Amino acid sequence: MTRGHRAVHRLLWPVLAIVVALGFTMALVKRPPPEPPAQAEATK
Amino acid sequence: MSVGFQAVQWNRRKIVYDAILLASVALFIGTFVTVGALRNPPADAPAWIGLRIKALGTCAFTMLTIILMIGPLSRLDRRFLALLYNRRHFGVLTFFIALAHASSVVDWFALQGAMGDLVTEMTNNPKFGQFIGFPIKALGLTGLSILFLLAATSHDFWLAFLTPRVWKALHMLLYVAYGVLVMHVALGVMQEDQRIHVPLLLGGSFAAVTALHLAAAWRERRWEANRAIYLYPENWIEVGPPESIPDKRACIILAPDGERIAVFRDGNQIGALTNLCAHQNGPLGEGCIVNGLVTCPWHGYEYRLADGCAPPPFTEQLATYRVRLRDGVIEVDPQALPPGTKAAITI
Repeated sequence: MTRGHRAVHRLLWPVLAIVVALGFTMALVKRPPPEPPAQAEATK
Repeated sequence: MSVGFQAVQWNRRKIVYDAILLASVALFIGTFVTVGALRNPPADAPAWIGLRIKALGTCAFTMLTIILMIGPLSRLDRRFLALLYNRRHFGVLTFFIALAHASSVVDWFALQGAMGDLVTEMTNNPKFGQFIGFPIKALGLTGLSILFLLAATSHDFWLAFLTPRVWKALHMLLYVAYGVLVMHVALGVMQEDQRIHVPLLLGGSFAAVTALHLAAAWRERRWEANRAIYLYPENWIEVGPPESIPDKRACIILAPDGERIAVFRDGNQIGALTNLCAHQNGPLGEGCIVNGLVTCPWHGYEYRLADGCAPPPFTEQLATYRVRLRDGVIEVDPQALPPGTKAAITI
């Protein structure tokens, strides 16, 4: 990799990793709770 | 290097690589569908398509995760260079698996006569402003479009046409595609499937890719920090005694402008070349001298140590650097010479 590619790689990676990690965490936190067993049984 | 079209130059190594790749993909999809059908037998045709969608999507995502792990793994351990050799075919196959996944989604809607719903979901969806409920198919299509662009420009024709610098920069879009596809899964199947293994596998894959990149970056930073530049009169860089360069291998030094120079020793001959292979800017200095030629560790491109030229009939040329032996120490002038200039010395 050239010096320029290394610089872009070093900048792009942390930014993307933080954005995706935040998005993943939010998606995990906001995930709807599992259906209670009785209700799940009734909907089958 | 001419900018003319050449079909894929097959060799035994590429054929073996692709055969293993195809067999692994077939095994993955076959196992996924078989186990899925045994555990929860699909009741009708849409259910079968649903299972196919999951199998192809999981396979494409797993392949993309592995592709992104190959780079840092190769930097951390040379044994993984074997995986890097034909990574482009791995990438192209990933695009086709992702395309089959997208095509199965269209099949699913078409089978139920709901193509209008699919079009509405993509074009006129009020949930574009929401986080949970965001149309995941738009994310999938974005990721697929990037994979298409990378697969379409993966051939050496495009590499030569765009130049390795532009091509490499373009192919860094793969990281963007991965980020988009992580969110495609996180907002899609992870919201529908309440089992714990979905976030575990998705988060684990993303964490593994990130951790490997951090480990490789930390190692690179440590290498650069330990690489003090001793500038001698006339700005020459000290390499060390000739014996400090392993025979048939290189010592990589850092030029004041931040670029890297590979100083190779082949017996009594010492020469300095740019560390960038003319093919894909691979780290030439991590390669070795095979049959008297400096050989790139990524794809085996070869160059003469004396002048940085590829042996005939190949036409690639590398920038070389002046080398001298002074008081038992090898020194290199960091000013690059025109590609193909004879600069190696015999000690």
